Parts: sequence; structure tokens; C-alpha cells
Amino acid sequence: MKGLVIWIRTEEGSDEIILDRLGTEIEERGGRVEVFHSKAVENLGMEKNDKAKAIACAMLASHGVVVITSGADSPAIEPGEKLEVRIIEESDLSRTDVHDSFMRDLELAGLVPAPRYDVHPDEEKEILKKLQNLGYLDD
Amino acid sequence: MLVPPHGGRLTDRQCEGLEAGKIIDQVKNGKLLTLNAREKNDLEMIGNGAMSPLEGFMTGSDYDSVLDLMHLSTGPLWSLPVVFASKEEDPDVSPGDHVGLKDIDGTIWGDMLVEDIFRADLIAEAEKSLGTNDDSHPGVMYLKSLSGEYIGGKIRSIRRRETESFGNYRLDPKETRVLFRARGWKTAVAFQTRNPIHRAHEYIQKCAMEIVDGLLLHPLVGETQEGDIPADVRMRCYEEILKDYYPRTRVAMSVFPAAMRYAGPKEAVFHAILRKNYGCSHFIVGRDHAGVGNFYGTYDAQMIFDQFDPDELGIVPLKFEHAFFCSKCGGMATPKTCAHDNEYHVFLSGKKVRAMLAEGILPPPEFTRPEIASILMEAARKGDN
Repeated sequence: MKGLVIWIRTEEGSDEIILDRLGTEIEERGGRVEVFHSKAVENLGMEKNDKAKAIACAMLASHGVVVITSGADSPAIEPGEKLEVRIIEESDLSRTDVHDSFMRDLELAGLVPAPRYDVHPDEEKEILKKLQNLGYLDD
Repeated sequence: MLVPPHGGRLTDRQCEGLEAGKIIDQVKNGKLLTLNAREKNDLEMIGNGAMSPLEGFMTGSDYDSVLDLMHLSTGPLWSLPVVFASKEEDPDVSPGDHVGLKDIDGTIWGDMLVEDIFRADLIAEAEKSLGTNDDSHPGVMYLKSLSGEYIGGKIRSIRRRETESFGNYRLDPKETRVLFRARGWKTAVAFQTRNPIHRAHEYIQKCAMEIVDGLLLHPLVGETQEGDIPADVRMRCYEEILKDYYPRTRVAMSVFPAAMRYAGPKEAVFHAILRKNYGCSHFIVGRDHAGVGNFYGTYDAQMIFDQFDPDELGIVPLKFEHAFFCSKCGGMATPKTCAHDNEYHVFLSGKKVRAMLAEGILPPPEFTRPEIASILMEAARKGDN
């Protein structure tokens, strides 16, 4: 899978739980994810700014990883053969419809895996009952 | 694990019961657009996920991308436009409008959030999607009957089970997927047909069944052209043959509510993608699949699959030659497996079969099982074919 940087544009100091939540969602689908918090730049001994963060994220993503991070400005990362970049406003991502459509676009572009089930487990039980009633399955 | 749906997940834009009632209440006094027969079939299939990843009728960007590149603008492979044409009697609409979708009788079948209204060059569409703009092609004739203005946007479709034909056989993609899993099938082959079952079909289906876990018999029951055997007759033939000649646990029959487009090779790809959404890993592609007249080469519908990356397509086309009974082999065969001349082969065209039935002559048992021939004869007597 091609690498991806998801850059969540946000005010400095805002809650980074949203990054973790998105990371967990993609991980549960079977994606290789790295959530890159602001502090990670410092921990790497790099200068704490968006440019340094962008370089680190691009390097990670170019190995086929989905990297989720945030920053106040747009990242200076050039998409290429090995990686894509998607930018989304934090305020937009908190809206369910925007979040769903953002994830769907990433799925269709082959950048993140789709959810692992094709039919929701709760619905599957009802369907099994229907199939029995129609004679497709024995009781 | 079954093959994933096209684009990764099944779309679900189908409503019934209270939810459907709410949609009707929201749109019934507003702007209502009229669905023709094909669009009504398409609406159902977008709604139930058969056309995943489509969530509605195509906008201009998807339409152009499909015609020029055979891909949706969002990326996945897609071979034919799925569009809604504005009708003369329809009210004017604008992007952002929430409209109802009704049939010519006024029954509401869904709604659409209008995203795009665009002009289409229907001649160019015919050439790119059907490979011809000849008026004698039924798909061209259909296109030329349209206004040339398309309206695109996400839809919701209303399921009205009480009015559906073949209700017991109408399984949505999520239902066939659950069925395959419950039966322990990891692979399934789909057989698409708009003809009654003859020995040649049976032979091909059973060859395919040797390499997969199960067979999905998926007769097309959407709109077809005049002269095709009616769906209810074809279904009776299948019901009859399934009684005695197929292992019950390895076959499932369900209807495919799509309209025929007669687009030959591109429709073969379209049919394959839709069957992938139903959970099938393999799809039988015969000679001149979805063809009409002499518009397509004998093997065009098979060769088109060679241009796609197998991962992108996500379903394996099983390409079959026409099959026949060979009196020297003493069984069914194809040109790939039979060494004998045509004089030993029992093969009848659909036209010839219809002529025989009209004269009260039953097709030979080497061509059609007697049980099927009787059903066809009875239908011919009643004027059903």
C-alpha cells in the first residue's frame, strides 16, 4: 500500500486525542499506522516546527505507513510515487459526515483499508434468519 | 474469507418501513423526477449495494472519467455510466435540491440530493460505451431517446417488497455474502444469463463448479429487449433443473435485477464487478457476452479483461467457448476439448430453438433436457416466447 500522511490542521495546543482515535480506527482495519504527536519531533532531537515534522512524517510514510499528525500550517510535503498527503481541518474531522466521507475517499484511493466486515455482525444474524425462512439454509 | 466488495465496502442506501415512510413524506409534495425502467433498476442496485462503490447517479466528473478512462474519478475500475436523465415533464432542479424519484405511475422509489446537472454528448457516449452509434443497436436507440441532460447525486432507494417479482429469489449482495459464508463457501462463481438453461449452460456451470465452492445462478430479470425469453419462463426452467441435476448445497439461485445495456465487452466487465459485490470470486464469461447482433467480436467480451490488473478487477473471469453435444465424443464438449468435425455437434441457435417451438417441435435432448423443453413448449403455446 502507498504511504500516506494525514495532516490534521489544528490550532497549536489543541487536543491530540483526535489523532489517536483516527489511528486506532485505521489500525483496526488492518492498516499500518504511526501517530506522530508534536512531542515526537522533540524526542527525535529535531527542531520543533511544522517543517521538521513534515520531513519526519514523509520519511515514515514513504515506507508504506499511514502517518497521522497535526500542524497549524499546511505541510511542505510533495506527494509522489511512494506517498500521498491529505489535509483536513480538525473542526471538519469532528463532524461524522465529513469524517466518513474523508475515510471513504481514502479507501477508494487505496490509501487505507476498508472496514474488515462486509455485513455488520448484528445484521448478519437477521439475514441468516431470513435465509432460513426462504429455504436457502436449513434450520 | 470472501472477496471484498468493489471499492472496499458495500454501500447501503436502501430503506424500508418507517425510514422509507419518512423519505416519502419529505419529498412527496416537492420536486419529483421521473425514473424510466432502466433508471429504476439502477436505483435499486445502487441502493442495495450491488453497484458499490456508487452511492448515487453519476456526476459529470465520474461520467467523463468512466467514458474516457474506465475508472471512477475516485479511483476504482468502472466500465459503464450509471446516470439519471432529466425528462421533459420533470420540474427544473438545481444543485443542492433534495428531490423525489418516482416511476411513470407516480410511485415514489427514492430520493436524490442533486449535486450536478450536466449536458452529455449522447453520440460520444454511445461510441465510447457501446462502441457504435448505429441506430439498430438497442443501447444506441435507448440513448437517443434521452434528453441529453443528466442529473447526478447521492440517492436513497425505497424497498417495496410487496410489489417485487421473484420476491423469494431477491437477495441483496449482503444477503448472498452471508449465505456463502453460512454454507462455508470461500469461492463462488456467478453465472449471468438472459436465456433459458440449455445443456451447454449446464456443462459450463458444472465445469466451473469443479474449481470453486459454489455456484450463484444469477438470471437477469431487469429490462431486456423484445424477443428475449421472459424472465418468469427462464426462472421456471431453472427451478425445474435444480430439482434433479445440481447438488442442492452447492448452488444458490437469486435474481439479478439489472437492465440489459447490450454493451458487450464493457457490460461483461460491469457484470463481473457487480457479481464481485455479491461475494463471487469468479464470473463466467461466454462468447459474445452481453452482445447483440453482430456489433461485437466473438471474443471481445473475454479479451477486455486482459487489460486490467487482476487485483484491480478483484474477480476472476472464467472464459468459456460455446459448448455442444458431440455424438462422437458421446458427451458435452467445446472446441477446446473436442477433436471432431461440426457434423457431429448438436448446436442450435436461440432463433432456431424459437422457430422449432413455434412449429411444435421439441428441441433434441442433447440440446435441452426434456423437462426444460416442455416448459419452453408450454410458454410458446401461450405466446410467452
